[in-house]
Amino acid sequence: MTPLLELSFATTQLGQQYFGPFTVRVAPGERIAILGPSGAGKSTLLKLMACELQPQAGQVVLAGRPLAQWPLADLARCRAVLPQGSNVAFGLQCELVIGLGRVARLVDPQLERIVQDAAALARAGHLLGRRLDTLSGGEQARVQLARIFAQMWDVRDGLILVDEPLAALDPGLQFDLLDSLQQFCATRGHAVIAILHDINHALLGFERLLLVRSGQLVADIASDAGAVPALAALYGIALTTATSSDGHVCVIPARSAVRRAA
Amino acid sequence: MNVASVVSAAPWRWPRWGAGGMLAAALAGGLLIAVQAGAVPVTLADWLAPFQAGDEALSGGAYVLWHIRLPRALFAALIGAALALAGGLTQGLFRNPLADPGLLGVSSGAACAGAATIVFAASLHVAPELRVWLLPAAAFAGAMLICVLLDRVARWATPGSIVGLLLTGVALNAITVAVMGLCIYLASDDQLRTLTFWTLGSLSAGSWRQVAALLLVLAGALWATRYLMRALNALALGEAQALHVGVDVGRLRTQVIVLVAVLTGFAVAWCGGIGFIGLIAPHLVRTWLGADQRRVLPLSMLAGGLLLLLADTLARTVAIPAEVPVGIFTALLGGPFFLMLLRRFRHGTA
Repeated sequence: MTPLLELSFATTQLGQQYFGPFTVRVAPGERIAILGPSGAGKSTLLKLMACELQPQAGQVVLAGRPLAQWPLADLARCRAVLPQGSNVAFGLQCELVIGLGRVARLVDPQLERIVQDAAALARAGHLLGRRLDTLSGGEQARVQLARIFAQMWDVRDGLILVDEPLAALDPGLQFDLLDSLQQFCATRGHAVIAILHDINHALLGFERLLLVRSGQLVADIASDAGAVPALAALYGIALTTATSSDGHVCVIPARSAVRRAA
Repeated sequence: MNVASVVSAAPWRWPRWGAGGMLAAALAGGLLIAVQAGAVPVTLADWLAPFQAGDEALSGGAYVLWHIRLPRALFAALIGAALALAGGLTQGLFRNPLADPGLLGVSSGAACAGAATIVFAASLHVAPELRVWLLPAAAFAGAMLICVLLDRVARWATPGSIVGLLLTGVALNAITVAVMGLCIYLASDDQLRTLTFWTLGSLSAGSWRQVAALLLVLAGALWATRYLMRALNALALGEAQALHVGVDVGRLRTQVIVLVAVLTGFAVAWCGGIGFIGLIAPHLVRTWLGADQRRVLPLSMLAGGLLLLLADTLARTVAIPAEVPVGIFTALLGGPFFLMLLRRFRHGTA
């Protein structure tokens, strides 16, 4: 099967820090979580995948075509990107922000319905009609996620890249939105690559983990109980495996022996 | 809230009739007040005079109405609309309600080229009929030059960054101010008077010929703007976000900059430095009707036209028969407004 997205020895440099070489193959419909300590290069890896950064060496290929050769409007119709915390100017209304996900489509008769459905799926239906800059951080995150849903609503086998989509949400909403994202991607065959901070979300909703540290990809492993030792090493913490009340593997973090000594 | 009208994919959102109609009616009312106001009274008979007597025979009130006040009032409204559209476009491009073509150095680039023309082209041998167009052409070229420099330098020094573009504008602004100073230093007494009057801003150059030219320019600019408005909405999400939803930000930036240069060039050439209309008009519309550019840009043209028309009427009539430069009025109005905006902006409500 041809990969949806393929990074081959892609490297980049920000200031004095080098990132990569990253070599990753993503199959259509895969659910991948990127994990790693702060400043490890998670967002940089995601930006390489999103064509926001150009690789200095190596290449990034989406659906058989180097990313840099994609016309922007075509790219916008098969992959969506949700960055970490965004700052929207002018206080646009929520429905307008969500609709902007589809700005690359010149003719879009379904737009109104899609905006409402996308908002409902992202638990933001009640926010339509309000100005984005009057909302709380968690509400804004839901509107932005709805924008991603709207962008990929009537597409199949696309790619969704999200940077910490759940960070500003309460635990109940985190589960709800994780479910929404999974259901959205599963029904449309979209692959999703998400940067996450919570190991348990990665174990719960994703099938593959990319572990990043000091600008390098240190592990590319399946997301199950077998990944726990690698995760403990990644963050330098101790992890105890447990089973949650709904039967999923989860981990309980604690200070490692090394940290306790320090 | 009517969700349907907000989310539609139309490149062009017709303003709600309420708002657009109110602004258009206010502008029409403003035009009537403007032509009535002045030292010479205008009667209803004067309005009909050209149709009864023919253009050459106009005298008294009819002459003042048809050859002075009406073209000037229309000229003021059109210049206000041009300044407001340039301001709205600039604010959209910089994602900042405090931006203005003055900020980019575009206005002062145009003014500086105009000043150089006034001072250095006096000795030039130019046919008298072309001489009328010398100043507009120079100011337009100055605005374009600054815009091209701005684009090139900012892309070379800080590719893709809007902060870089702004700082480049600040640097270019400083250079134009220096050239302007040189022009003032080298000017003769007569030229100095012209320069001073022109830099203060005045609409006294308004004639039917300029009204017609401006109408063409504005119609062209509005036509060019119609597909940029949705892209400018997307730009409000941030540069990277606009790219991700499929907007070619580089091309959008070039298009907006050229439009701003054209509008600012014409306005500065014919009226000198009239500030703050481009800042105030789009802000008023945004506060009133929300930030959708498809509504803000067309309606701020009406609002800007109305604002400058009222300011100019005030400038003409406050000290009859003398005329105060209208730039002084807009600056007196706009300065405090800018400070108020700054305060609200700090509190995150602008």
